[in-house]
Amino acid sequence: MKARALVRLWSIFGEPLWIVVSMGFPVLSSLALSLLYYSIGAASYVGFAVLGGVMVSFWGNVLWSMASQFYWDKQEGLFEIYLTSPAPISAILIGMSVGGIIGTVPSALIVTGIGWVLFHPAVNAVWGGVILTFGLTLASLYAMGMTLSSLYLAYGREAESLNEVLQEPVSMLSGLYFPSLGARSPFPLAIQAAASLIPLTIGMDALRKTLFYGNDIWQVWPDLAILGVMAVVLLFASTYALKYLENVGRRDGTIGVRIR
Amino acid sequence: MASKGTVSVEVSDLRREFKGKGSPVVALDGVSLKVGQGEIFGVLGPNGAGKTTMIRILSTLLLPTGGWAKVMGFDVEHEPEKVRRVINMASGAEKAGYDFISAKKNLWFFSQLYGIPTATAEKRIMELSEMLGLTKYLDRKFYALSTGYRQRATIARAFVNEPKVVFLDEPTIGLDVMTARSIREFLKEQARRSERTIILASHNMAEVEAICDRVAIIDKGKIIAAGTPEDLMRSLGAPALVMEVSPPQSGFEMLSRVEGVKGFTASTEEERGLSTVHIVVETDAAARAAEDAVKREGLKVVASWRKQATLEEVFVALVGRGFKEREEQDVV
Ligand SMILES: Nc1ncnc2c1ncn2[C@@H]1O[C@H](COP(=O)(O)OP(=O)(O)OP(=O)(O)O)[C@@H](O)[C@H]1O
Ligand SMILES: [Mg+2]
Repeated sequence: MKARALVRLWSIFGEPLWIVVSMGFPVLSSLALSLLYYSIGAASYVGFAVLGGVMVSFWGNVLWSMASQFYWDKQEGLFEIYLTSPAPISAILIGMSVGGIIGTVPSALIVTGIGWVLFHPAVNAVWGGVILTFGLTLASLYAMGMTLSSLYLAYGREAESLNEVLQEPVSMLSGLYFPSLGARSPFPLAIQAAASLIPLTIGMDALRKTLFYGNDIWQVWPDLAILGVMAVVLLFASTYALKYLENVGRRDGTIGVRIR
Repeated sequence: MASKGTVSVEVSDLRREFKGKGSPVVALDGVSLKVGQGEIFGVLGPNGAGKTTMIRILSTLLLPTGGWAKVMGFDVEHEPEKVRRVINMASGAEKAGYDFISAKKNLWFFSQLYGIPTATAEKRIMELSEMLGLTKYLDRKFYALSTGYRQRATIARAFVNEPKVVFLDEPTIGLDVMTARSIREFLKEQARRSERTIILASHNMAEVEAICDRVAIIDKGKIIAAGTPEDLMRSLGAPALVMEVSPPQSGFEMLSRVEGVKGFTASTEEERGLSTVHIVVETDAAARAAEDAVKREGLKVVASWRKQATLEEVFVALVGRGFKEREEQDVV
């Protein structure tokens, strides 16, 4: 598990170009938006944009490396090595998540740093609540990544289009850059409900409440509870799905690509 | 079937069918064998014989559709977790490593799948690399390794958890002679000194002859012969006959009508303007009759000599054709 995390880190930091690319996107988009909010005088939203930039780094990491990792591993014959080892597949995924989170921290820090220096967003935070919310949000996000990775294994490249679908609209619906739940949301209730299925939405909402509106843990506990439940459910779902896929694969002879 | 010491792999009436477009493909058709601890056991056969299928069933990546197999006493179908603790596997076709990480870190990572303490793992990686001549290349990124060194790393990986049984599928395919030789030496060493059982699927006769204690020759999912390479070759009795014939010929059908000819395989060398025929004969008389039959077709026998039978000839004797011809038949 620890090993998987380290491998992930070595891979990320072994390739300078990749760091620039993976950090550049969230930094730029979040700063552009901050600038926009700032210039139209929506100063209270600037903080949202910076926070969004931080979270989109993690979301991108979940979508573009967590979810598809096993698919690539399978293409290269690495998945077979995992399977024939005694290590539980879920431990490997958790290691991957931890590695992914640590690897994304620099990019998140850069966004925060630049955002802070340029715009001084007004913060009114309950730090304990922020940290707890942040932790639970990441847990449920990466648990979702684990579940997505089993979808990827099952559907291969077709699942990549799912990523495309998830990337943009989710950034929007989940309120990465502006509130998408509650009274300030521009969306009708039905869409808000659908968006709530994504842990990011709830996490962002709770983070905004604790970070900018001074809500304490007791005021956001429903969000926290939902995030916790999502994390656990998704974790079990992914473990179960991977076991199921392994059994189907052993039966049908579809584990690993055949090179002939 | 004989085997020395304790049995580490046992296979009984193993079958595997794959659903094809039309009728199902029978990849394994009732294979039974026993392999003893510390033995290098070769599974030899032409393309499509079922070698990989067998390796994948034994290494828990594929379920049998009939029969059973046990590794160190554990059933591969029902107790995969227990089997996985005592095995490892590698294939010549795999790439098997993270490109942007050094060979050493790759090996360390794979050792962690077995929960080996880092200090132990590092010591073992150094030892294995030393034996495989990989030491100098350990700090190179995986993508920067040549095919040969990548394969050495893959072999090292397959031994990093000190497995009781190792499954290797064409481990030296596409490698130069030197690399293949050092990998073979390493495998011998692992079996002799550390009592590891190695099951080696290959269609390289020379490789199997060189390192396997025993071999099962399979064709179309069935074992057609098994024993030590020496026994198999000796069982042929008279050695083989090689004939160089001019002008080059594609067919030597007249040979199949000669009594005492068990089989033959032919190849053509255009530049030299002749065909070389390897004929497995039962007796000296049959060898003379074979030569006569060729001459009777108006062909010139440029040279002919007798040679010690190899596993290739064993296969030819059993199937009537060589590996190459067998594989071409399947394509048609
Ligand atoms: N996953 C699969 N799905 C469908 N058919 C398969 C599968 N795996 C193997 N087969 C078929 O089973 C037969 C045996 O294949 P296998 O790969 O075991 O042969 P092999 O002896 O390893 O050959 P090679 O020397 O080419 O590696 C072949 O006809 C092959 O097409
Ligand atoms: Mg094969």
